[in-house]
Amino acid sequence: MASTSVGSNDLTTNRRQTKRPKYSKFTQQELPACKPILTPQAVISAFLIVTIVFIPIGVASLIASRDVVEIVDRYEAACVPSNWTDNVAYIQSTADKTCTRTLHVEKRMKSPIYVYYQLDNFYQNHRRYVKSRNDEQLRDAGKANSTSGCDPERDVNGVPIVPCGLIAWSMFNDTYSFSRNNNNVTVNKKEISWKSDRDHKFGSDVFPKNFQNGNITGGAHLNESIPLSEQEDLIVWMRTAALPTFRKLYGKIEVDLEKGDEIKVVLQNNYNTYSFSGKKKLVLSTTSWLGGKNDFLGIAYLSVGGLSFFLAMAFTIVYFVKPRQLGDPSYLSWNRNPSGH
Amino acid sequence: MIPRHLEWLGMSHLITALILYGYLIPISLYVSIEVVKVLQATFINQDILMYDEETGTPADARTSNLNEELGQVDTILSDKTGTLTCNQMDFLKCSIAGTQYGASSSEVELAAAKQIASDLEDGDSDLSNFPLRHRKAQVSWENIDKVDEIELETVVTSKGDEDQKHAIKGFGFEDDRLMNCNWLQEPNVDDILLFFRILAVCHTAIPELNEETGGFTYEAESPDEGSFLVAAREFGFEFCRRTQSSIFTRERISASGQVVEREYKLLNLLDFTSKRKRMSVIVRDEEGQIFLLCKGADSIIFDRLSKNGKAYLEATTKHLNDYGETGLRTLALSYRRLEEKEYSDWNNEFQKAKAAVGADREAMLERVSDIMEKELILVGATAIEDKLQKGVPQCIDKLAQAGLKIWVLTGDKMETAINIGFSCSLLRQGMKQICITTNSDSVSNDTKQAIKDNILNQITNATQMIKLEKDPHAAFALIIDGKTLTYALEDDVKLQFLGLAVDCASVICCRVSPKQKALVVRLVKQGTGKTTLAIGDGANDVGMIQEADIGVGISGVEGMQAVMASDFSIAQFRFLERLLVVHGHWCYKRIAQMICYFFYKNIAFGLTIFYFEAYTGFSGQSVYDDWYMILFNVCLTSLPVISLGVFEQDVSSEVCLQFPALYQQGPKNLFFDWYRILGWMANGLYSSVVIFFGTVLIFYEQAFRVDGQTSDLASLGTTMFTCIIWAVNCQISLTMSHFTWIQHLFIWGSIVTWYLFLMMYGALSPNLSHSAYHLLIEALGPAPIYWATTLLATVACILPYLVHISFQRCFSPMDHHIIQEIKHYKKDIEDQSMWVRESSKARQETKIGFTARVEAKIRQLKGKLHKKQSFLNILSPVRT
Repeated sequence: MASTSVGSNDLTTNRRQTKRPKYSKFTQQELPACKPILTPQAVISAFLIVTIVFIPIGVASLIASRDVVEIVDRYEAACVPSNWTDNVAYIQSTADKTCTRTLHVEKRMKSPIYVYYQLDNFYQNHRRYVKSRNDEQLRDAGKANSTSGCDPERDVNGVPIVPCGLIAWSMFNDTYSFSRNNNNVTVNKKEISWKSDRDHKFGSDVFPKNFQNGNITGGAHLNESIPLSEQEDLIVWMRTAALPTFRKLYGKIEVDLEKGDEIKVVLQNNYNTYSFSGKKKLVLSTTSWLGGKNDFLGIAYLSVGGLSFFLAMAFTIVYFVKPRQLGDPSYLSWNRNPSGH
Repeated sequence: MIPRHLEWLGMSHLITALILYGYLIPISLYVSIEVVKVLQATFINQDILMYDEETGTPADARTSNLNEELGQVDTILSDKTGTLTCNQMDFLKCSIAGTQYGASSSEVELAAAKQIASDLEDGDSDLSNFPLRHRKAQVSWENIDKVDEIELETVVTSKGDEDQKHAIKGFGFEDDRLMNCNWLQEPNVDDILLFFRILAVCHTAIPELNEETGGFTYEAESPDEGSFLVAAREFGFEFCRRTQSSIFTRERISASGQVVEREYKLLNLLDFTSKRKRMSVIVRDEEGQIFLLCKGADSIIFDRLSKNGKAYLEATTKHLNDYGETGLRTLALSYRRLEEKEYSDWNNEFQKAKAAVGADREAMLERVSDIMEKELILVGATAIEDKLQKGVPQCIDKLAQAGLKIWVLTGDKMETAINIGFSCSLLRQGMKQICITTNSDSVSNDTKQAIKDNILNQITNATQMIKLEKDPHAAFALIIDGKTLTYALEDDVKLQFLGLAVDCASVICCRVSPKQKALVVRLVKQGTGKTTLAIGDGANDVGMIQEADIGVGISGVEGMQAVMASDFSIAQFRFLERLLVVHGHWCYKRIAQMICYFFYKNIAFGLTIFYFEAYTGFSGQSVYDDWYMILFNVCLTSLPVISLGVFEQDVSSEVCLQFPALYQQGPKNLFFDWYRILGWMANGLYSSVVIFFGTVLIFYEQAFRVDGQTSDLASLGTTMFTCIIWAVNCQISLTMSHFTWIQHLFIWGSIVTWYLFLMMYGALSPNLSHSAYHLLIEALGPAPIYWATTLLATVACILPYLVHISFQRCFSPMDHHIIQEIKHYKKDIEDQSMWVRESSKARQETKIGFTARVEAKIRQLKGKLHKKQSFLNILSPVRT
């Protein structure tokens, strides 16, 4: 206390007190703290908990993934007639692009069965590609002129393109129709896009305009009488994929497919992936609670769970073989290394 | 962007890449470190235990960028006056006529006795070899040190009223035998009387009447002289007036307290010079007797004693040695009775010499004085304490135990410096003092080169001597004066000099100029490559404060120059202990951990961006939304790391002080070596691989939502980012060992903030949120795979680190781990003796400081015991 300064007047006392640091647990770094330490028990239990949590999750996800039935058919090579040697020339020609494929159902597939197209070596995530769109234009009928960022597909002779940009321009345009035993299997193309995209990002009063009228035709054409919010193929395509190999939802088959069924697919092989040696695949897949078929998650969970079980065992053995009493002062450096003292 | 502007395209691509990969070089690290250091400095300023009540000054971190270096100091270079000492002399003890007066302050002996006693109780291993050790040890203890014990007791009793002790400035004497005229009952009354008169008369001071109190204060040439006069006044011999030819004292000789004024006619004054090391006055008292009263350095006086003046020589010498060891400044007092004839003869000579004009006047005067100052009779000796600042010896002791080397650089003369060395326990009896000096007489004759060769020779010899020393307990002290230092600091000698100095336990440089102080600091800093700290209070220390890695100014009485030049200012030297051992230790570890973690965090994050580039044809597209990247270092991971840097404590401040050895983690740089930095970087690399490839493989191509939609750029990026936020925040919680509510709030709050941000961002209009619109609530939140990925990646990321620290704790626990465990299980309370024992062991090997001195004393006593023991063993058959 500054009051110890004997005989000093109040002024100096006050002055001194103002400089005196205020005491609080915070400023003196004495806040109550929890100081957990890694005891062997804690470490082993942590590993065991990881094991106990991870192994069931791993098993469950593996089962879920195995339950998913998936048919993958790669068709881009087979769908080029053998008399065409130059694939690119074929795809750019006006020749008939119809192609028929047969899919074998190896296992019963419960509806809904999702139909995907899968492209390979297609860099939808390239920076200039990703940027080449204009969200305002897609959403707002009044902003058809805002085409900034849409280079090089902004306008044709000064008239803006709706939807502008490379993404829309390069939209996938192969079509599939399915039949089983000559009975047509309908593909439901509704609600294949994200709901928020349909409702909020693509305007219900925005119609395609001046689309694919440029010198170079990209992919699909759009029906100019249907608003963008209902052009679900476009909406799906506009959600750019993260990786150069990607699947996109084409539609849903809402009947079960039985084991041994033969599905005949008549497809229009329109989309040019030949110029960049991209593969095209048609995928039919069911889903589980975890999504599509992917064993990796389950395997990873099982490996981490197994590893931590192994670690738990290893640490247990170590602690039994070479126990160290916690807080044993003989492990302090000055006790361990008497020569250093 | 139009591809035909290729140059422009290239540039923009380069800039894109720079921005993206900028996360690998953590620029935010600098910002965070600045914030952390400022907060650390605030804590230093706020530390109430470094606030000086007397002057009302708190500690002040004047710069915040050296905090962590406080924890890595290797050598402290300290000024003496004003830093270690108060520049105040206290008359503490005296030896009159072979009798010692004044309470013994040999705290070393007291502590040694205490420790030996406790060792004996514990059954110390060194002595347990002897049969009947206990009883005999006690017996012999009594035999050997009976006298000491009595002295020790007086210390114990006088310790209690320490407040009274310093009531009178310059007078710390405590012995009722001499006070209040009690000395009249002492055996050698005449000698005592003479002793007091010498104190009161033999000086050059001028009294000043203090009008308020009516007492006298003295304007003396040196503080020693002032304290003599104060002492004389307290003894009842008050010097009250000086005229041209006379000195007047008021003497209280009778027990009744009657005061008599006496006049001493001052006949001659033989001045003090550093060469003569003595001063004398020749006075005629009221009875007409002529006396020569002489005080001076003991060695000088002892050489000039007459045959019958050596009666007390032996006892006085012993006392002087004791005083010297405790660091007291000693002077011997003597007198000579002169016959009228003898005096007048000499006075003629003296006047002649005085009147002489020419170059040899000085020499003549000296020669004449020399004739007179002979045949002296020894009366006694005084011991003056150059008063240390509060807590200095304890602080030096702790700092030495923390493994710090302490050099004293002072402008004072060698004797004073050595005294202070003793009182600070930087020197002790039995320490080999290596004095490097130039032979001052021959300076003018010898060439510079010859002097240098001579010094180099001395240095080489001393180094050889240290090399050849076999005794592990042998300690060396290097004492060097300024003039010699001029040569020793020259380029071709300085490395040898430094080598010798580093080998010595303590180094004292005296009579050094401010410039030399700075040069010595530079030599230590550059020569050893270790962190140096200079501490001083005056303008003459500014150079060394600026030169050292860390400059500490004492914000005391000697003006502000040192403080203005310093990096840290404290009010008292003793606060240095807390500044270094507590704040330094903490700050070092905090900053080290923080930087390592920062590298980890940014590598983990930055590399995922880089990997993704490989999947986008290096086009510069980022997998994350721009806002995620901005927020990553700004608020999603910065607060936890700042809380690590500001609040982390491996052990509490009390433990830091109790276990000074923990400080060595800093100078040894255990927490910021390449092994650690690379380890953390590897950890970051691992985390980035796990998170990126894990997420990519999980979200590869298949549907991630139950209703069939596949993932897109936004959902993949957001999942990845969620994993990173979880992983780095869980990682930091494993790194910390001290969680207050602040850390909890920051760490878990950061994770919660991320989800809140994602929700709010997703709730904005799609114009603003683009692809993140409704991402969490619509797509990711309901998808179990999103949460499963987060859990998997987080656990997989922290698993190796958890294994590492568990393994390290299990097999090679560090000191602070053990102490944390002891504290956690409250073993320090259950087994207090263990705790005390460990904390007394927890220090670096040191040969300086009070504790080392006590140990040396114990070794000495044990040696004595040993001899006594063998002696008793020989005798014992006869006895039985």
